[in-house]
Amino acid sequence: MVSDSAIRSSEGTDHPLRASMASDVLDYDVLTAFESVKSDDDQDIVIELMDLYLNSAPRRIEEIRNATGDDARCVIKHLAHTLKGSSSTLGLRGVANACQQLEDLSSTSGASANTLVGNLESRFAEARKALIAERSRRTR
Amino acid sequence: MREFQITFKPPAPNRVLVADDDPVITHLLTTILKQQGCEPVVANDGREAYRILQSDSRFRAAILDLSMPFLGGLDLINYMRSERRLIRIPIMMITAEQDIKLLADSLSAGATAFLPKPFTPEQLDSAVRLLIGSSKAKRDH
Repeated sequence: MVSDSAIRSSEGTDHPLRASMASDVLDYDVLTAFESVKSDDDQDIVIELMDLYLNSAPRRIEEIRNATGDDARCVIKHLAHTLKGSSSTLGLRGVANACQQLEDLSSTSGASANTLVGNLESRFAEARKALIAERSRRTR
Repeated sequence: MREFQITFKPPAPNRVLVADDDPVITHLLTTILKQQGCEPVVANDGREAYRILQSDSRFRAAILDLSMPFLGGLDLINYMRSERRLIRIPIMMITAEQDIKLLADSLSAGATAFLPKPFTPEQLDSAVRLLIGSSKAKRDH
């Protein structure tokens, strides 16, 4: 788990921790590539995308956690698939990988399902910290 | 003296239907479409897209997510290709699916282009240009 202080200290672009985080939490090159897209209201589109992600992802993860009943596997697969799409697009590799594992899950019962959902929640917590740190750096 | 009447066709609509249940992807698509002078019309799931298409066919192109609640992108392609008023609208499918069979199914059902997630802004921009260009070529033909 990456600590708050570690993320705060990684906000400089040349910091070694930031470079190492590219491989497992957030690939900054993927995220910042969206700077080339011009927002129609002249806002920073990277911030807009991060805000949309931070608002929508927790709801999907909660729905995955609470999915029950006969169609639970189908619901989890769909939600994980959708979350994987936006996570990988923004360079959030840890969350995208956790979603892929959930998509590949053959059954929603048992310890493995709980473990994978727990893993997704942990990866999202890391991603959230990294995005908030990046957001703070951009609005400074 | 004979009279000639000149009639002008209304300008082709630049409206593009965007159907995706992910707000991040929808925001990216609508921003890039506006950059290219298009007017995006957003549906947040397959059922909403279907309802729009039932009463509105003035679209220059459609960008559909393959996997959406209620009605998937493949069902929407099948519907659009079975309706005469929608049949000429070029369709781009976007998906995070890795399954090559789904890609083949989309193209054989009538999709014009296919963009896998994750995509870079450059790939998305080029794909949208290609789609709009394809629409213009169809109309000019």
